[in-house]
Amino acid sequence: MSTGSERSWSARLRRRAVAALPPEKLLPDAQPAYVASWIYVFGVLTLSSLAVIIASGCILALKGPAWWHVTGIGHFFNSVHLWAVELFFFFMVVHLWGKFWMAAWRGGRARVWMTGAISFLVAIPCALTGYVSQQNFDSQWISTQAKDAMNAAGIGAFFNLLNFGQMYSYHVLLLPVAIVAIVIGHILLVRRHGVVPPFERERLLTGAAPTGGLREGE
Amino acid sequence: MAAIFDLNHHAAYLHWHFIDVSVSNVLVIAVMLLVFAVAVLAPFPHGRSRGSS
Repeated sequence: MSTGSERSWSARLRRRAVAALPPEKLLPDAQPAYVASWIYVFGVLTLSSLAVIIASGCILALKGPAWWHVTGIGHFFNSVHLWAVELFFFFMVVHLWGKFWMAAWRGGRARVWMTGAISFLVAIPCALTGYVSQQNFDSQWISTQAKDAMNAAGIGAFFNLLNFGQMYSYHVLLLPVAIVAIVIGHILLVRRHGVVPPFERERLLTGAAPTGGLREGE
Repeated sequence: MAAIFDLNHHAAYLHWHFIDVSVSNVLVIAVMLLVFAVAVLAPFPHGRSRGSS
């Protein structure tokens, strides 16, 4: 490859990406000894639930409402999608509790916490807009209650929650794309900064009470 | 296909000041707290050390 191509934007981007996340960091084959607790499993459980949600949601979108409302197999995938959402929030909240109590934003990991919090906040309207897909009186009721909530928050002029097509489109496309993008950023940041060390390790190494937290490798 | 549990009745609600939550919701929250406690306290199987820090 000539010297000139090294100045191209793609080469610069590649160097920056590899510098930030070399392959052994992007796909590690070992983990710190302190990551030996069941609480660390809930992140991947949340991810697995999200994968099932996306997969079952794609099948539901491909086949359409007449399929999932009427046929047995459609009803099954509808139920898989619903229960995957229930498990997604269950595991995500337990993951959130664990990360909060271990102060996982320490050591330069503030963006990891922020992306996690944002993905939680975006997942909530994504789940709530899914109710309109029931296409029954219950979903209309939920829409009217949500419209009242948006009006009370002062943003009712921007979102018409009674617009079924719009809310269904938010649920099927816009919000899942946003969630997946934020989760990818969240995971890449975890890979980059590493899992936060426990308080005891920081106290042992620095001889002081934990403050800012250790960065990876300290 | 008959449902295993009869879902065609009103849910029981617990009401305390402004908090109005169904019994099933309270049970789910209790299970989440229990799972969190077990996850933190339960022993984790230690495999062969492979040069981890």
